[in-house]
Amino acid sequence: MGDKHQVPEVKSPATIEPGAVYSWPEAPILIGSRVKRVDGPDKVQGKAKYSYDVNRPGMLYGRILRSPYAHARIVSIDFSAAKRAPGVRATLAILEPGQRAMYQGDEVAALAATTEELAADALRLVRVKYEVLPHLATIAQAMDPIAPPIFEGGNVRRGNAEEEGDLEAGFAAAAHTVEQSYSTQVETHQSLETHGCVCEWEDGKLTAWASTQAVHGTREGFAKALEIPQSDVRVITQYMGGGFGSKFGPDVQGITCAKLAKQADAAVKLMLDRKEEQLAVGNRPSAFANIKAGVTADGALTAFDAETWGTGGAGRGAGFPLPYIYQFPNRRRVHADVYTNAGPQRAMRAPGHPQGCFITELLMDELADQIQMDPVEFRLKNLPPKAPNAMWADYFPKAAQKFGWSKRHSTGDSTPGPIKTGFGCAANRWGGGGRGSQARCEIHPDGGVVIRCGTQDIGTGIRTIVQMITAETLGIPFEAVIPEIGDSVYPFSGGSGGSTTSPSVSPAIRITAEKARAEFADRLASELGVDATDVVVRDGRVLIGEDTSKTMSWKEACRRLGTEPVSVDGKWERGLSSSGSSGVQLAEVEVDIETGVTKVKRITIVQDCGLVLDPLTAESQVYGGVIMGIGFALYENRIMDRNTGQMVNPNMEWYLLPGMSDVPEIDITVVNQPERGVVGLGEPPTIATAAAIGNAVANATGVRVRSLPITPDKVLESLDQLF
Amino acid sequence: MKAFAYIDASNTQEALSVLGTERGKTLPLAGGMDILGLMKDYVLQPDQLVNVKNLDSTISNSAAGMSLGAAVRLIDIIEHTDVARLYPALVYAALEVGTPQIRNAATLGGNINQRPRCWYFRNEEFDCLKKGGAECYAVNGENQYHAIFGEGPCHIVHPSALAVPIMALGGRFRVSGPSGEREVVADDFFVMPDRNMWAENILEPNELLTHVILPAQQNQRNASYEVRFKQSHDWPLCLASVALTMEGSNVKLARVVMGAVAPVPWRSRSAEEVLVGQPVTEELAARAAEAALGDATPMSQNAYKIQIARTTVRRAILKAAGMLTS
Repeated sequence: MGDKHQVPEVKSPATIEPGAVYSWPEAPILIGSRVKRVDGPDKVQGKAKYSYDVNRPGMLYGRILRSPYAHARIVSIDFSAAKRAPGVRATLAILEPGQRAMYQGDEVAALAATTEELAADALRLVRVKYEVLPHLATIAQAMDPIAPPIFEGGNVRRGNAEEEGDLEAGFAAAAHTVEQSYSTQVETHQSLETHGCVCEWEDGKLTAWASTQAVHGTREGFAKALEIPQSDVRVITQYMGGGFGSKFGPDVQGITCAKLAKQADAAVKLMLDRKEEQLAVGNRPSAFANIKAGVTADGALTAFDAETWGTGGAGRGAGFPLPYIYQFPNRRRVHADVYTNAGPQRAMRAPGHPQGCFITELLMDELADQIQMDPVEFRLKNLPPKAPNAMWADYFPKAAQKFGWSKRHSTGDSTPGPIKTGFGCAANRWGGGGRGSQARCEIHPDGGVVIRCGTQDIGTGIRTIVQMITAETLGIPFEAVIPEIGDSVYPFSGGSGGSTTSPSVSPAIRITAEKARAEFADRLASELGVDATDVVVRDGRVLIGEDTSKTMSWKEACRRLGTEPVSVDGKWERGLSSSGSSGVQLAEVEVDIETGVTKVKRITIVQDCGLVLDPLTAESQVYGGVIMGIGFALYENRIMDRNTGQMVNPNMEWYLLPGMSDVPEIDITVVNQPERGVVGLGEPPTIATAAAIGNAVANATGVRVRSLPITPDKVLESLDQLF
Repeated sequence: MKAFAYIDASNTQEALSVLGTERGKTLPLAGGMDILGLMKDYVLQPDQLVNVKNLDSTISNSAAGMSLGAAVRLIDIIEHTDVARLYPALVYAALEVGTPQIRNAATLGGNINQRPRCWYFRNEEFDCLKKGGAECYAVNGENQYHAIFGEGPCHIVHPSALAVPIMALGGRFRVSGPSGEREVVADDFFVMPDRNMWAENILEPNELLTHVILPAQQNQRNASYEVRFKQSHDWPLCLASVALTMEGSNVKLARVVMGAVAPVPWRSRSAEEVLVGQPVTEELAARAAEAALGDATPMSQNAYKIQIARTTVRRAILKAAGMLTS
């Protein structure tokens, strides 16, 4: 279900196409200034109500019974004891006898009861008879030629080779080659607010307060699954505790919640718990690569030959871009998706890119070491041509200068003592274009301004951006605008994924507010008998031509509109956004070679995203992305019991996440490119962090851990091989 | 979580009067740091909880030593000046536990009596030995955080950080039960799984730990050192506590205890023997650490813990001797 609603990487042009009707202001007042998040105070005071906080009169609590087995066929489901349990008001089979649960955590049945505790207790009284089937717990088991065929069409799906140039000639031209294996782990999304919703029916119409990245997409999903018109579904997401690509549709739990609510004729809240979150609602697939690559003595890449594979769990692919960014003139890559009996993957912040980046960037440092070349210099020699969305040639030197890269020692810190320090670098790219958003702007006769757009703030700050652009465009103070978002009754906007929100929504808001401004000026001008071009709103004052005696307050001007508000619709058009971003990250780490423990000391990042609307929300994205990248580098790992196919760490205790003490100094430069319009920044800052850290660990220790996460056991094992 | 009855006991005697002899039916509740998680995960399903926050929560120092009530909170230990002066090994261990929120609510008794964090024990799906099953899933499964000492059959590591310095400091546990009080030295308090699969110490279901007694020391230097992966909220890969009674510049008596490496806090007499009679040097500390890990029996995925434990013990010895530089 996740796949259908995923927002793919958008690759529209990297520059604004000429001839656009609308443009960004040349001398903005609010845009580009550090505007604080409008809902920050409400969030920190607990006043902001997330889906988890929504309570309706007479509301029940839903819970889902999930397969404890990695692979099993349902023989029977018996609700009789559960129905007799205290408080139970509705029960529902999700799988029917004969159907299979494909992983631990696959949905089997559900019920709703008067309290969450009663629902959880009653769930244990649902008697499910399972026929336990053979399973594939690990990717190695799935790739074994004698593995049982569990997935239709085979457990391993081999793709066609991607080829370019002449591989043989490329290797012949190489002075040195590196042949190595690299891997990255399965990582789960770890949204702080779990998946789920509150569903309530009234007169056959459904309202769902859902934790979703797409109120409109989720409305469509509900309507299809429940076979009702979209007009009978309303999805509300006022505040949302993260999704990172895993929350685009109603999902099984949403549909289940709606069905339970209908059956019980009462509102039902069904939010997943942390364990369910780990097992069933998405993850970043693993990636493995065996690579041979060649380089000339003066640092030109010549050839790249890779065999890659990965698992996206039960029946899902595990693709990732490779090689990443750098130009190998002769290359071949063959990829296979491997299916295992584990929770299926979903898009996760920059799908595929962190894997491809880590693998390529580690290889790049190994090649640089072969020819004793500085890693930054080596990268500069092998970049694609410079372009607005490919600015690494500028960003590497800029970041290196800020970071103090010139103090880098060659591979292996030779200073005495157990604590070794190292530097590493990596680069990233992403699409992040926009399209399709719609909005409505109303100017009321009492001076009120409301801007409505059916986007959703997934924690990134789009509510603030919507308010800011409207105020900027109308010429009124920031506080004078009421932004209304997060509701499917508002004009359409797409899902917040793929770094598309800002480049989709911002142009729609700019255009809609500009249309509202124009109509306001027209109507006021005809009321006053002046030219519309004479009406100028600045700092909340309305100027009428040169005559300062005619200046009036915004409120007074709006009163002159009479009873009919200005109400205009607008939508995204080309000309205010583009696509593609580039960035680099440099990392300093400390590795204790007597314990294998790595600490990240500093990250320096130089990253663009077109026109920077609000440096505060932009930097906030970068902080979050880098911290997630540290989790990917060092800590996070879905650990499956190899024998049972059950996850042993479905919690935040042994699924390690970086905490505040694990977060280093993060030095951020967000490069402003106003001429490009708005480009998204959601994915880019998380891509290169793990690769830069991985290279820094190698620079510190003199040994390369080619597998994420870089845990103490791997560091110590690599050091053992050295001595 | 299974519904349970809550009984508020105002003192030890009241609490003891409701604890029965059947294991797991009535359980004491202090800070609730551990037991609530166990109940929410249906690993424990008691019928009753007895509030024991009203047990002694004082710290008193006398010529004979220091007495700490079981209801003392970790934050009280951390902030107590006499404890900090005399038993830095204990304060360090308390400071490394959990998060500020946990240290503000968790009690000394609860920390010592908490159940293992083994993921096979904590996840309901695995009917492991400790839950009456037939198999330790760690043996052929995922054992990177499991024991490197002890021969099983269960391979948990003991979860208590405070137990480690208490054993190193020669501490005793005062236990109250239906037939009165008794004191048990820390060396004898914790039990290996081959002796009792159902509990990690000698407490019977109808007994309560009421006090920890740390004997008075002369010429003693003590310290703890911990290695963990994450700096924020993580369990140790190894915690070592060392107490050295000095005679001039030589070690007269030594106690070396490791945590997170065995089903009980693991005292290393061979490391102690290396230290006794010698002045502490870098080289001696390294030899003692080598001896401490000499008889380790790692599992398939946790041999790396030997190196970590070796480093931990060496650094704890040097820290106790005031010689740890980094």
